[in-house]
Amino acid sequence: MRPRPLAALLRHVPLLIGAALMLFPLWWMLVVSLETEQRAGMAMVAGDVLNVWPEDPQWHNYTDAMRDVGSTPWITFLDALANSIVVTVSVIVGTVLSCSLVGFAFARIRFRGRGGMFLLMLATMMLPAQVTMIPLFLLFRSLGWVDTLLPLIVPAFFGSAFNIFLYRQFIAGIPEALLEAGRMDGLGWLGIWWRIVLPLCRPVTAIVAVFSFIYTWNDFMSPLIYLHSESNQTLAIALNSFRTQFAGLEDVHLLMALSVVTMILCILLFLAAQKQFIEGLGSGAVKG
Amino acid sequence: MAEVRLDSVTKVFAGDVVAVASCNLSIPDGQFTVLVGPSGCGKSTTLRMIAGLEAPTDGTIHIGDRVVNDVQPRDRNVAMVFQNYALYPHMSVERNLRFPLERRRATSFWKSLVSGGERIRRATETAAIAARVAEAASQLEIDGYLHRLPRELSGGQRQRVALGRALVRDPQVFLLDEPLSNLDARLRLAMRTELRQLHKRLGATMIHVTHDQEEAMTLGDVLVVMKDGVIHQVGSPAEIYERPADRFVASFVGTPPMNLIEGSFQGGVFRSTSGGVLPAPTQGDGEAVLGVRPEAIRVSASPGGGAQVITIERLGDRMDALLDVGGVRMTARTEPMELDEGDTCAVEFADAGLHVFDAGEQGLRREN
Repeated sequence: MRPRPLAALLRHVPLLIGAALMLFPLWWMLVVSLETEQRAGMAMVAGDVLNVWPEDPQWHNYTDAMRDVGSTPWITFLDALANSIVVTVSVIVGTVLSCSLVGFAFARIRFRGRGGMFLLMLATMMLPAQVTMIPLFLLFRSLGWVDTLLPLIVPAFFGSAFNIFLYRQFIAGIPEALLEAGRMDGLGWLGIWWRIVLPLCRPVTAIVAVFSFIYTWNDFMSPLIYLHSESNQTLAIALNSFRTQFAGLEDVHLLMALSVVTMILCILLFLAAQKQFIEGLGSGAVKG
Repeated sequence: MAEVRLDSVTKVFAGDVVAVASCNLSIPDGQFTVLVGPSGCGKSTTLRMIAGLEAPTDGTIHIGDRVVNDVQPRDRNVAMVFQNYALYPHMSVERNLRFPLERRRATSFWKSLVSGGERIRRATETAAIAARVAEAASQLEIDGYLHRLPRELSGGQRQRVALGRALVRDPQVFLLDEPLSNLDARLRLAMRTELRQLHKRLGATMIHVTHDQEEAMTLGDVLVVMKDGVIHQVGSPAEIYERPADRFVASFVGTPPMNLIEGSFQGGVFRSTSGGVLPAPTQGDGEAVLGVRPEAIRVSASPGGGAQVITIERLGDRMDALLDVGGVRMTARTEPMELDEGDTCAVEFADAGLHVFDAGEQGLRREN
């Protein structure tokens, strides 16, 4: 059947409107980040209408923003970037390793109390993070970990309920014979997990990694609670201190420039992992 | 190569499901033994216990002169081919073949980083593994696609790779768990021949599980017929076919299955419970079950004969006819002939194809 142009157009109009609405804040951020200080301020305070593209893009806003954040030019920004990368990468590694291992055990190893423990683990999802915030802080303080990156990294190595659930569901679909073949070939449980299960879990791992990345990269609360000194800040905190440093709205163009810098890694990662990501989201639905 | 012996092996699953009941079995060294029976008869469980994937609830399993009850699967020196191949999907064919050998290396990668001697030993080992893989690949003619992933192979090719993975290990015993059941009919025939040839070439002890009695008859040196966790008969295909130990074996082995007619011997004739009368082919007395192999019924087209044709299935070189012989229904397998449904014909029974079994539940064979 030939595509009918009118029908296609009608179908695309709402999609385009939706996409435009979604992209509007991004566009706004990008444009403001390239405006002069004066025009950016006017857009914020007086509600002046912005051009689709700035007449005279101020590319130096970006270098200015990265240089001016914190007390030491460049160093504060680079510290924050490095801290964010260290925390995020560690959290992803920790989450993938711990959650896949626990998910594997729940899916494949028969042990007494498995069902009850699984339910108990799922129940932890019902607990709001705010409830555990203070006890966790007291715990980490007693360990002397406050103002280090450890409170942000170490919990990831102890699994999280939702990711464990994702892994368990996926691993339950792996044919038993594959694991038995592994046992015949001389693997123990850990060997089976590392050499057979984990490589086969790639679609789930992609999802878990991307979600963990986005969550950790953008996480504001935990770094705010645990990190005090400037050299230990993550990007999210640096961004915030940048806002207060310049007393709010005056330097909104620089704030937007730094926001774009913070976001760009997220977007690049999503584009790179997109294929795996989409595959993983659909994998539970149609896998035979 | 090794003999495998099961002494009073029992397997009870949770909920008191008895999968294998006190099974005594000796699988001779170098023989192709087939465990055959309907679904749920315990044949796969028996194989899995030999492999070490299930622990017996009771009894002992010997491989060679070792009791292996508490030995890990990897240390039993057995290799298993699974029904659905169980090739590692993320590894190429070559890595799939190499994998079991690499798991058993004597040298350590980490030590080889720091010790020159260890490095040389490891390199020698790696070369030996590569040679072994190449040898197995050429034996099974899979060397053309060593670098492909399993999903890029056809069913038959995957089956060969699965066999190859067992072959490279050079095990004492090959365990084959319905390896042909996922193949289409034509390929299954071809692989059957290949399996036979492979066994002849290797002279290894092979234990094959199948629910297909035809496959069992064509492949096995020794057949073990099982039902409900109990071994009913162990013997060569000819013994099983010619002298079935009981009614179950008689009805399970042979296509079409043996006609089993309940009745009793009375004054030189066999009177079936349905009221039909057959000439007593063998002398017997009392209540019994008469077994007649379809191939033992000689049919001749003869108007006014004692039998009537109910249905006919033509198979080209032969035909199966469901007959009413004096009120008793039985299937006969004959050469193709001019017969139609509703025709009458004459039948004769060949003595060799007739068997008499007890009337009781066990239905043991009565010797003539």
